[in-house]
Amino acid sequence: MSPLDTDVAIETPEHIVFHYRVAGPARRALGHVLDLALCYGAVVVLGVIVVLAALGGGIDSGEIGSAAKAGFGLVLLALFAAQWIYFVVWEAVFGRSPGKMAVGLRVVTTSGRPIGWRAAALRNLLRAADLLPVGYLVGVVSMALSSRFQRLGDLVAGTMVVVPENARPARALELSPPAEPRELRELPEHIALDADERAAIELFLRRRHSLGQAREHELAGMIARTLGDRLGYAHRDPSRLLALVYDRAVNAGRLEAPPSSWYPKAKADRSAGAGRP
Amino acid sequence: MSVASTLTEKAFADRRRGEWEELDALTLEARRGLKKLPADDVLRMSPLYRSVCADLAAAQAARYSAPLVDYLLGLTAAAHTVMYGPHARGREDGRKGRVRHAWLVAFPRAVRRFKREMLLAAALFFVPFALGCLLTLRDPTFAFRVVPEAMLRPLTEAYAKGFEGGREAGEGAFMAGFYVYNNVGIALRCFALGIFGGLGSAFYLVQNGLSIGAILGYVASQGAGENIVVFIVGHGSLELGAIVLAGGSGLSIGWSLVAPGDLPRLVSLQQRAREILVVVAGAAVMLFMAAAIEAFWSGSSAPREVKVVVGGTLFLLLVAYVLFAGRGETEPDDAGRPS
Repeated sequence: MSPLDTDVAIETPEHIVFHYRVAGPARRALGHVLDLALCYGAVVVLGVIVVLAALGGGIDSGEIGSAAKAGFGLVLLALFAAQWIYFVVWEAVFGRSPGKMAVGLRVVTTSGRPIGWRAAALRNLLRAADLLPVGYLVGVVSMALSSRFQRLGDLVAGTMVVVPENARPARALELSPPAEPRELRELPEHIALDADERAAIELFLRRRHSLGQAREHELAGMIARTLGDRLGYAHRDPSRLLALVYDRAVNAGRLEAPPSSWYPKAKADRSAGAGRP
Repeated sequence: MSVASTLTEKAFADRRRGEWEELDALTLEARRGLKKLPADDVLRMSPLYRSVCADLAAAQAARYSAPLVDYLLGLTAAAHTVMYGPHARGREDGRKGRVRHAWLVAFPRAVRRFKREMLLAAALFFVPFALGCLLTLRDPTFAFRVVPEAMLRPLTEAYAKGFEGGREAGEGAFMAGFYVYNNVGIALRCFALGIFGGLGSAFYLVQNGLSIGAILGYVASQGAGENIVVFIVGHGSLELGAIVLAGGSGLSIGWSLVAPGDLPRLVSLQQRAREILVVVAGAAVMLFMAAAIEAFWSGSSAPREVKVVVGGTLFLLLVAYVLFAGRGETEPDDAGRPS
């Protein structure tokens, strides 16, 4: 499994290496449109309320009251907040604005930590440069040129926008039906597969049930013959051969290995001797 | 590759699944902040996170299959976000002290430290300002080349009327909103566009200087010069000073990109931006103050002598603050600075 070029590796203080997927322009644009709709929607609602209040007051007093003017001042303040404050506060406090939340994005520093006030302020101040000359053209060009899809604001603040992913646990692969002694008799005791081979066979075994039988055989046949020749092992069914080889390569010799991954007899000795770790 | 003493993937997953699911549940619950969890859960979270981190390392070392490793990566990543999240930082000690420090020490110091850029910004603003003013006084039609005539005429009439009537409170509040929206926006943009090698900031400084100078000159040429000076004197030092500081900050980040010295350009830019941010924030606050003064004081019916004295005092205080505040104070550890 070689990481895609949209992956960024992060090492934490626990010496765990994460791979964050960096968000591309399309998804970020969608999130941004949602944010804009929310912000300017709120400003418009405020404006309508002020206008209605002014009209209501105007019928009584016959002129636009000074309170209404103050109301419009408030609308301008709201407009200012939408342009310069909204993103800073959301990103500094929650690491994401509501629009980003909706499309599943998060802003982190390039070292994978949550951003603070300074970074949030910088990346959103520089928005004024990114949206030039029209439609975030500068930002998109900057994203295309940088390795982490960073617009100018991200570059200056040292941040990036990532897509946090939550994988569900998958069941470990099991050999089913269990191997028959006849099948195991000729299987070599030690099988070494390199990482690519393992990954390829594993991917195939996980997906083979969703393929048609003919397609399954066709795909398995492409690699089973070469692999069988190398190991000096043959099986009628190429798909089954891959399953057996994988099971032995991965499980043989491990604690609590299933019987199928080892010689039935040798396994009996082993499990008696291994005990609990 | 020695795997003899490791568990099979299935046995490993079966044994450890309990803790994984526990961490998953806690992480989900803590999404809205670690503080919202009961105390016992908070205590449980940290050892749980570390042991799942260890599981991930073990799974990678034992070469377990990709889905399992991916699952553990996702789990630890989600927990990492919570553990190191903004909520987890809690109240940093002395945050209040930090804000005080920023205004009393860091801001004036940063201005002095980057005085070269600030002086250049002042020149880029005030030379066109003087030029615009003088050229317009010699030939009033010059102003129309810089500022639309349709805007200048009503402006002149307004100043010609004087301030005897004062401003009603609602009008003042509206103007305050407008000044914040317009002026703070201009200042912040003036800073941000400095990223293009300082050119954006320079352009904004020259353009604003020229048009403000032209307006002043035009209004003066129409005989309301005294009124407009009395109007500007109250908030002018804060407002024009803030524009210059924001522009100087923009020039500074632009220059850090053009001449990064020994650092890589990006690192130089990031460092400078973090250092100069306090000046930008200070300029924004100055403009908020200027907006309040301009809206409620500058247009009021207070006698012109009082306005001039107040404005002059404010100017002197501002200069003294920028020149002398924070001298001799020791710099606290700046944890936020990238090493």
